[in-house]
Amino acid sequence: MLENIQQFSYHIGWRTRGRLAGSHVSTQRGMGMEFRGHATLLSYPDPRRIDIRQTIRDPNEQIHVRIFNQKSATPVFAIADLSGSMNFGSRHRKIALACQIAESIAVSATRNSDPFSFIGFDDEVLENWRTTLSVRSHHALELIERLKHHHSDSKGSKGILDLYRFLPRERSLIFLISDFHMPLELIEQALPLILRHHIVPVVLWDSAEYKNLPDFGISSVVDPESGEKRTLFLRKELREKIFNRFEERRKIIHNLFMRFDMPPLFIEGDFDANVFTEYFHQFVVA
Amino acid sequence: MGFNNPNFLWLLPISLLPIFLNRVHSRKYSWVSMLPHDPLSNLIGLLLKILATVALIFIILGLSGMHSSQQQVERIGVGAQIALVLDRSASMDDPFSGTEGHVGETKSVAASRLMTQFIESRKNDMFGMVSFSNSSMYVLPLSQNREAAVAAVQATAGNALFQTNIGSGLTSGISLFNKVEDSGSRALILISDGGGRIDANTQQKIRDWLNQLHISLYWIVLREPGGISIFDTNYKEPDGTLPPEIELNDFFKTLKSPFNAYEAEDPKSLGVAIADINQKEKKPIRYMERIPGYDYTRGCYFLAALMVGLLLAVKYLEVKSWH
Repeated sequence: MLENIQQFSYHIGWRTRGRLAGSHVSTQRGMGMEFRGHATLLSYPDPRRIDIRQTIRDPNEQIHVRIFNQKSATPVFAIADLSGSMNFGSRHRKIALACQIAESIAVSATRNSDPFSFIGFDDEVLENWRTTLSVRSHHALELIERLKHHHSDSKGSKGILDLYRFLPRERSLIFLISDFHMPLELIEQALPLILRHHIVPVVLWDSAEYKNLPDFGISSVVDPESGEKRTLFLRKELREKIFNRFEERRKIIHNLFMRFDMPPLFIEGDFDANVFTEYFHQFVVA
Repeated sequence: MGFNNPNFLWLLPISLLPIFLNRVHSRKYSWVSMLPHDPLSNLIGLLLKILATVALIFIILGLSGMHSSQQQVERIGVGAQIALVLDRSASMDDPFSGTEGHVGETKSVAASRLMTQFIESRKNDMFGMVSFSNSSMYVLPLSQNREAAVAAVQATAGNALFQTNIGSGLTSGISLFNKVEDSGSRALILISDGGGRIDANTQQKIRDWLNQLHISLYWIVLREPGGISIFDTNYKEPDGTLPPEIELNDFFKTLKSPFNAYEAEDPKSLGVAIADINQKEKKPIRYMERIPGYDYTRGCYFLAALMVGLLLAVKYLEVKSWH
């Protein structure tokens, strides 16, 4: 099962404060390659790192030691929206797609020896669909596997406002997976609360939602979250209207996230891990 | 407005179900608020609900047998109000002495034949009918319906029963006029084979009522071959009493209202009778005609079928493959 999960490479553009050894630049002194400066042997008693040149040059005849920063692990979170709208999907449901992405994140994080945690939320953060941070991702993978068959109904996504309470104080890398079919004000309220973290908004849309609509016909639709009912008489005019509405929404969401300096990643249809790798190369300064 | 099975109306609230229930085939859409408002779609959605509701309403109305109540319409015609009082006593099964080529015909058949001819010859009259034997039998109220009158008369041609109680027949015949507005021309035609005595009380009653209601009495006697003629004033029973028909004739003659007697074995006599009536009874009559209620059941079912058909058409238009 594990072999089937695609991996991608990611990096972060900031120094992590993680103490555990990992692969990201950090603020922790240690056995790394990144030179930080000098200290006297008395204040940093590590004779292996005595800098002879600096010691000789010092008129005060102090013994100097080179100090390096180690590479550290940074916590990685996959936070998935499990609201009713995530049940929608033409080939796979959005929840299944979100699980695929979360799996990939979990495996990639483990390979980078970063601790991983999964958090699911709908109207509240769900204790049942949450794992603690761990460098061993088996528990999380098992949970995500079960989540693929989860159906949530008539739940909104207000839990996004509570997320900050489940996140560590130190800056972490967060993949926020949702279709963001929620009021803009909600996103606007929620984002500042978790702004201390590096957030990658992953926007899951399904082509059947707006692009691959049936050509002609009558259908009645129900909103899984609010229960709102509507009859649709699908025809060219209405299809175009819906398409334009979604394109407009795409722009709005994009602009909103860009205001918080977090470029959104739109995923539609099948999951391809390369898209994530490219995202980090494109938007995150190494 | 009336209903044959009003209990079905209790089901009417069921027809509101389409408004409150979801359609079975409604799809989950991720975010309905995202869909632009489309007046045409909303209109169709509303129409579908209304269509389903109306279809159910019509089915229930159809089940409950909706019909309009009977109506009464005033009609004006020229002619008389005629009550036929037919004798159905056992003696009516005896052969008739008429000589019009109908040999061996019983009196009841002859009476119905003669009366049918009579009714056919009077175009604008209202006919009512009472037959009697031991007691009177109410057959047909006064009405303009000629078919009903002819049918009623012909129905009397069957086997006769029991005895002759002319008094009862006459009183019920007169009572037909009770409920009908007086057109000014009222006739009671008594067809019997003579016999029958009437007690003094009933005689008084008949006399008063005929007088009060302005009814003229025509008596057509069907005579057996070799029977006594009522006009034979000299005939007396061996014991000195008068035979019943002559006695009856004598009583009728004492009435204050007009009275005529005819013997039917003589076609001329019958012709005279009809001519008499034609001549005397020709005034405009006003009467109420009853129009039966219209049964809407079929219409209800038709409309319901139409609605269901439309719903089926929409079903055909329904999106089958979205995902």
